[in-house]
Amino acid sequence: MSTSAVSNRAQGTGVALKDSRQSRRRTDNLVGWAFFAPFGLFFGLFLIWPILFGLYLSFTGTTLTGAGGDFVGFENYAEALGDADMWRSMLNTLWFTVLSTIPLVLIALIMALLVDLGLPGQWLWRLSFFMPFLLASTVVSLFWIWLFNPQLGLINDMLAPFGVEPIAWLQDPQWAMHGVVIATVWWTVGFNFLLYLAALQNIPEQQYEAASIDGAGKWRQLFSITIPQLAPTTALIVILQVLASLKIFDQVYQMTSGGPGGTTRTAVLYIFETGFTGYRFGYSAAISFVFFAVIILVSIIQIRITASRRPRS
Amino acid sequence: MTAVDTTTAPVSTTPATSRKPGERRFGAGRIAALVVLILMAVTWLLPFAWALVTSLKSEADAGATPISWLAPNGYTLEAYENVLGEGNIPVWAFNSLLSSVIITVLTIATCALAAYAFSRLDFAGRKWLFFVVIASIIIPPQVLIIPLFYQMLAFNMVDTYWGLILPQVVAPPMVFILKKFFDQIPIELEDAARVDGANRLRIFWTIVLPLSRPILSAVAIFVFIAAWNNFLWPFIIINDTSLMTLPVGLQTVKSAYGVQYAQNMAMALLAAAPLIILFLFFQRQIIKGIATTGFGGQ
Amino acid sequence: MSDFHRLSRRTVLLGGAAVFGGAVLGPSLAGCSPLGAEGARPLKFWHLLSGGDGIVMAGLVDAANEANPEFHAAQTVLAWGTPYYTKLAMASVGGRAPDVAIMHASRLPGYAPGGLLDPWDLDLLEEFGVTEADFPERIWEKGIIDGDLFSIALDAHPFIMMYNTDVAEQAGVLGDDGQLVEITSPEQFLEVARAMQQVTGRRGLSYGYLGDGAQMWRLFYTFYKQQDAEMSLEPGEPAQMDEDAAVTALDFIKQLLDGEIAATNGDYATAVAEFVNGESGMFFTGVWELPTAVNAGIPFDAQPIPNLFGTPAAYADSHAFVLPHQSEPDEAQRREVYRFVASILKGSFDWAGAGHIPAYSPIIESDGYADLVPQAHYASAADVLNYDPPAWFTGSGSDFQTYFAENVQGVFRGGDSREGIQGFVRRLNVLLAKPNPVA
Repeated sequence: MSTSAVSNRAQGTGVALKDSRQSRRRTDNLVGWAFFAPFGLFFGLFLIWPILFGLYLSFTGTTLTGAGGDFVGFENYAEALGDADMWRSMLNTLWFTVLSTIPLVLIALIMALLVDLGLPGQWLWRLSFFMPFLLASTVVSLFWIWLFNPQLGLINDMLAPFGVEPIAWLQDPQWAMHGVVIATVWWTVGFNFLLYLAALQNIPEQQYEAASIDGAGKWRQLFSITIPQLAPTTALIVILQVLASLKIFDQVYQMTSGGPGGTTRTAVLYIFETGFTGYRFGYSAAISFVFFAVIILVSIIQIRITASRRPRS
Repeated sequence: MTAVDTTTAPVSTTPATSRKPGERRFGAGRIAALVVLILMAVTWLLPFAWALVTSLKSEADAGATPISWLAPNGYTLEAYENVLGEGNIPVWAFNSLLSSVIITVLTIATCALAAYAFSRLDFAGRKWLFFVVIASIIIPPQVLIIPLFYQMLAFNMVDTYWGLILPQVVAPPMVFILKKFFDQIPIELEDAARVDGANRLRIFWTIVLPLSRPILSAVAIFVFIAAWNNFLWPFIIINDTSLMTLPVGLQTVKSAYGVQYAQNMAMALLAAAPLIILFLFFQRQIIKGIATTGFGGQ
Repeated sequence: MSDFHRLSRRTVLLGGAAVFGGAVLGPSLAGCSPLGAEGARPLKFWHLLSGGDGIVMAGLVDAANEANPEFHAAQTVLAWGTPYYTKLAMASVGGRAPDVAIMHASRLPGYAPGGLLDPWDLDLLEEFGVTEADFPERIWEKGIIDGDLFSIALDAHPFIMMYNTDVAEQAGVLGDDGQLVEITSPEQFLEVARAMQQVTGRRGLSYGYLGDGAQMWRLFYTFYKQQDAEMSLEPGEPAQMDEDAAVTALDFIKQLLDGEIAATNGDYATAVAEFVNGESGMFFTGVWELPTAVNAGIPFDAQPIPNLFGTPAAYADSHAFVLPHQSEPDEAQRREVYRFVASILKGSFDWAGAGHIPAYSPIIESDGYADLVPQAHYASAADVLNYDPPAWFTGSGSDFQTYFAENVQGVFRGGDSREGIQGFVRRLNVLLAKPNPVA
C-alpha cells in the first residue's frame, strides 16, 4: 500500500512495455493470438457467448422443455419490473448484503489487529479463523443446520442459561436471514482476515516508531496510523465483499430453500427457481439481466463513494 | 487498484514477521487481547468440535435431549462406517479430485499463456482484448446459469465431466494477476534467450514459467480450492449421482432412512477432510496463495 | 466424450481410495460395488421417499432384485419436494435421466406435456401382467395425459382421520362394531370432538398446519370437494372456483381451530405428538403417519375423513412410476424397467404397512389385506379420492401449496375467509396469465 511500491511497479511496467515495443516483430501478431487463443476459446464459448445468448433468451418465451421459443420483445422485462416476488428477492439480497458485509469487515479487522499483535500461537489463530473458508458450502450448511436445530442444536442450548427461549433459527421468518448471516460470517470472515493481516504487515514500522517518540499511545496509534493506513484495503474488502454477498445462493438454497415464506429468497435463488423449477428460461434470463443491472448500479455507487473518500496523493 | 499492485508483488509473498517494538510494555492489554483472541478462536472452532463429537455418537445419542457433549452409549465409528459403506463418498471424492485437478491445470495453462501474450506480445487488438477480459471480471457467473445450461443441452454435455469442467475454466481475474506478475520480470532475461534464437513458447516455458513459480502456485491453490468447493454449476449440470462432486452429492442424495444426525456430520467431516488436511500440511503456502490472489480472485 | 466418461467410471474405486487413504476406507471397500449378480442390468431408480416410507421401499426394491436376476435396481433418494422435482426435470431434459422414478401423480401435468417423461407402452405392460383392469378407475386415469399413460400408480395416499378408540369409547361415540359412529354433519362433528375433548382434558382433535401449505391444502380441499364444488385452472383463463364452498370449508376449519377442539397454532410435529401421546381423540393426517401411530402403541383406528357436506370425498395423491425422458432409450433396458415396476407392484403388499393404499387391486382384494387393520378401514377412500386440480404448477410439493399457505394461513389463525380465498385466487390468476411453460 506504500506509495513507493506503487511507483516502482509503474516504472517496471513502463520499462517492460517500452522494451517489448522496441523488440516488436511481425510475428508478434501471430504468436500473440496463438498464445491468447486457448484462453480465448474458453472465454468466448463459456462467458461471452452465454451473455449474448442469455440476452437473446431474455427476449423470448423459451422454456426448459424447449417449448415457446417465440420472440416476445420486452414482455419478460415488463413482467419482471411488475413482479413483486422479484423485487422482494432483490431486497432480500440487498438486506443480506448489508447484514453480512458489516460483520464480515469489522470482525475480520478485529481478528487481524489482534493476531497482528504477535501474541503466541500465531498458527493456531490463523488456522481457527481461516479453516472454515476451506469448507464447501454444503459442509457449512450441514454444520449450521445442525447447530441451529431448535431442539437439538448447540446454539439454543448455549443460549438457554441466559433465559433465551428456543429459537427456530431457520424456520422463523424473523430469524432465518440472521441464521444465514451468522453461518456466512463464520464461513468466510477468514478470507477478509487474511487480506487485512497481509495489509497490516505492510505498514512501515517507522510510522509507529515516530508516533511512539511523539508520545502517542497504542490506541492513538491504532486510530491515527493503523486504520487510516488500512483505508485502501478496507475500501477494496468492502467492494469485494459486497459483490460476493450479492451473489449469495448456496447457503440459502441449502439451509432455508429461500423460506420461510420467501424471507430468504435471494436474487440468484429466484433466477434458479424461475428457470429450473418454474421452467421459464426466457423470463429467468430477463431477471438475470435485471439483477446484473442492480450489481452494476451498486458497484458504481460504491466506486463513487470510495473515490470521493480517498485522499488524493 | 493499489492493493492489487502490492499484493501481487513477489516481495509480499514473504510475510513480515518482525513485530512492533515496545509492545511488551502493555502487559495487561496484551493479556486482555489474548483472552479475546482465545474466545474468538474457540467460537470459530466450536462448530468443528460439535460436528466431530456428534459424528462419533450413536444415532440414538446424537438425537437425544437434553443435548450433551458426552455419549451415554459410548463413542463409536459407526456413523463413518455406515456413510462409507454406502459407497458414494469415495466416488464423489474422486469426481471432485478429477474435476478440480483438470480445472486447475487448464486454467493455469490458458490464463498463463494469455497473460504472457498481454504482457509481452504486441499483437493487433491486444489493448481492446485486454479491456474486454478485465471488464468481464464484473460479470457474476451466477447470472449466466440459464444460458449456459441451455448451451450445454445443445452441446449434449449435461451430465458429463466435460459439462462439469469446461465452463469452470474461464478465470479472467487470473489473467489479470498473472499479467501483473509477468510485467515485473525483467525483459533482459528473455532478450538474451531471443538472441540465441529461442522462440516465444520456449522462452515462456524455460524462462518465464520457472521464474513465476510462486504466483503460479498461488493461482493454482486458489483455483483448486474454488473448484473443489464449487456448488452452483456442478449442482446444475450433474444429475447422475455417479458423476457428482462431493458438495453436490452431499446436498442432493439423501438417506432412505431419514435424517441421521451422526451420519450427516460424519459425511460433512469426510467431505471437509481433504482440504483441511492439505491446509494443515501447507498452511503457509495456502495462506500466502490466498493473500496473493485474494483481491483479484474474488 | 463417452470414452472419457467410461474410462473414469472404471477408475472410480481406485481414485476414491487414493483420496481417503487406506485406514478410513478399509472397511468400506466391500460396500463400494453396489452392482448385483453377473449379467444383471443395473437400473437407476430415483425416488423421494425417506423415513418409514424409505425403509419399506428399500425392502420392496431388494425383494424385486432378488426375484429377478435379469436386473439390479439401485435406488437414489433425493430430498422430498421442490428439490426432487427440480432435479428430475433437469435430468429429463438433459437426456441422461434415471431409468425409472417415482413422482406424485398430481405433478404429471407439469411434466408429461413438455416431453419430460416418456409414455408407458401398454402392450409391454400387459406382457408383464399389468393392465388397466388391475387399478381403481380414478387412480389409473390420473396417469393419462392426452391419451397416453405416463404414470403407473404404486399407491393412493389420502388424507384421513385416525381416532383413539379408548377416548372414543369413553366419550360414548363408539358404535357396536367398535368403530366410530357415522358422522354426517359439521355440527355433529363438533359435538363428537367436544365430547372427546372432555375425555382427554386437552384436545378433541389434532391437526397441524403452521408453516405447512400442504397440510392446509389437504384439509381444505377435502371439505371443499365434499360440497361437490369444482375447481378448474385453465391457462389463459381466470381460475374457476366456488367461492362460497371455499368460504364454508374455511369457516368450518376455523371453528375447529378454536384453541379447545384443536390447537389454534398447531404445527405438524406437535399434532403428531399430541395424538400419539393420547392428548386428543381424533387426528387429521396422511396415511403415511400410520407407522408412527402403530409404533406409539396407542389404541386407535382410522377411517376416511367423515362426509360432513354431502359428497364423500378425500384429498389424495399417488406415488407413481414414471419414465423420465431419455434421448436414446435402450429397448432392452426399458424392458427390464417394465419387469421391475411390475415386480414392485405385485409385491406391494408391504407398502400397505407404510399406511399407503396399494393401487394394484389384486393386493387390495387379497385375503391378507382385508385382515389389515386399520388399513382396510380406510381403503374405501380410494374410491372417492380427489387429486389437485390439474395445472402445470399444482401438485404435492409445488408452489401451488405455498401460495395457498401465503394467503390462507392467516385465515386459519382467525382471519377473514373470503378475503383469504380471494387473495389465493388472485395469485392463481397471475400464474394462469403466464404462458404454460410445458404446453
